[in-house]
Amino acid sequence: MSGVKIEFKDLSKRYKDVLAVSNFSAQVQSGRVTGFLGPNGAGKSTALRCLLGLVNPTGGSAEIYGGSYSQLQEPIHKVGAVLDSRGFHPGLTAKQNLKIMASASEIDFSRIDEVLELVDLAGAANKRTKGFSLGMKQRLSLAIAMLGDPEILILDEPANGLDPLGIVWLREFLQKLAGEGRTILVSSHQLAEMQNTVSDVLIINKGLLVAQGTIKEICKGRSLEEAFLELTLRKSA
Amino acid sequence: MSALLKSELRKLIYLRANWLLLLWSGLFAALGTVAPILVLNSDSGPGRGAFSGTETQEGINAVFANAAGGYLFALILGILIMTNEYRHGTAVGTFLVTPKRSTVLVAKLIAASLAGLVIQLFSFIFAITSGFIALTFFEPHAPVPAELLFKVFRASAISGLVLGIVGVGLGALVKNQIAAVTGAVIWTLIVEGLVVAFVESIGKYLPAGAITGLVDVDFGENDFNFSIENYLTPGPATLVLLGYAALFSLIAMRTTLRRDLD
Ligand SMILES: Nc1ncnc2c1ncn2[C@@H]1O[C@H](COP(=O)(O)OP(=O)(O)OP(=O)(O)O)[C@@H](O)[C@H]1O
Ligand SMILES: [Mg+2]
Repeated sequence: MSGVKIEFKDLSKRYKDVLAVSNFSAQVQSGRVTGFLGPNGAGKSTALRCLLGLVNPTGGSAEIYGGSYSQLQEPIHKVGAVLDSRGFHPGLTAKQNLKIMASASEIDFSRIDEVLELVDLAGAANKRTKGFSLGMKQRLSLAIAMLGDPEILILDEPANGLDPLGIVWLREFLQKLAGEGRTILVSSHQLAEMQNTVSDVLIINKGLLVAQGTIKEICKGRSLEEAFLELTLRKSA
Repeated sequence: MSALLKSELRKLIYLRANWLLLLWSGLFAALGTVAPILVLNSDSGPGRGAFSGTETQEGINAVFANAAGGYLFALILGILIMTNEYRHGTAVGTFLVTPKRSTVLVAKLIAASLAGLVIQLFSFIFAITSGFIALTFFEPHAPVPAELLFKVFRASAISGLVLGIVGVGLGALVKNQIAAVTGAVIWTLIVEGLVVAFVESIGKYLPAGAITGLVDVDFGENDFNFSIENYLTPGPATLVLLGYAALFSLIAMRTTLRRDLD
């Protein structure tokens, strides 16, 4: 059981007239960084939202620790997530937002300073998030995800809005987390960046699984970008 | 559960807008007591003969019954408690921490009823105090019996508890904050008032009508063409209000438990 902690089983999600995810089956190996790749609208965010119990699948399931997310006891200690939507109140400071999350899950407030430090946001702890730049918001989302010191991290385009320095920072951040043996599932469009960060790759296109394997198996000597383009273009042709 | 409730109360306390709302509730309820004192005792306008003024018990009743009038703000705060989560996308974080949405909702309903109670207690005290101050300019006036204040206090407290809950249900149903608040304001200030005034048979079962019944004081036929006989007595009125609380709690649950979040 230790090998796989995330599994998509025949997952489907239909919104009125769009089939966002279609019979998607894949596994994420634990202790590894898996890149979740696919063109815009491929269904990445939807699949991740199903995994986190935010969206109800119309078919199949997405399992974490062998069951649904909603069955987890104290999930924040097991799974941290950064999604593509902002998850904090603009009228509150970074610290207040974190306190709300921490008090709901009985996490000691001393952890708040730790996670703010971890994402280099300690200086803005008492600023209202309304005035945060995109990059600062992304860091705060990461801080929230790290609050419960989770074993699994699910990150939907965490590089979004980061400047070059921020991207380097994120790379090192993810490498550090991976080095600690955490399982990371990260979606991104930054393929060159992914190539240096991930060990496994999942590619989805139009809701369908296109490829899964180690980065070596997927690239077969090509760059990740070349492999990605070929795999997604060929499938949609 | 208690951790979740603490988290909900923290959200309430941190947001400056909530404190402003509390202030507004006090001003609104105080307007309700002070304005009739001025109108009833005015020598101009309809003429002194038209109103019997605060020298009569009915006049005093009419003034202080309005001290329960801040319940609209309990309703608005309930709406905000729920719709803030959708408006700012915090629902995602909230439900990631606590995937059992029913637990979150119970915490929200409790927080909203407590917040509604606080709003009503504050606005009650503010309105009563303002009323007494305004009355000092129009001596002599009829006495203000403790029983009257108690009845209005009772109605304030119960309506605050109930309307906070109704607000959460309404917010869960409508989701859009501006639409929900606007709808609630129009309903409370215009539609409901008209129905209560002109279609008493239905009006007495609406929240405002039930709250009037719960206040249970008569303003008299003379000045207001009002008779408390047309309303429910406090017992049934309380039951009707609790019925609304139950109904809107159910609505909050039914709409939120399986909703997709984006
Ligand atoms: N709430 C929704 N209602 C209706 N359709 C939706 C909803 N969310 C997503 N979709 C549709 O589902 C499909 C997949 O969207 P999704 O956001 O999962 O893609 P994605 O792979 O994350 O794309 P991107 O790389 O642009 O973030 C798209 O066609 C999108 O329009
Ligand atoms: Mg996406």
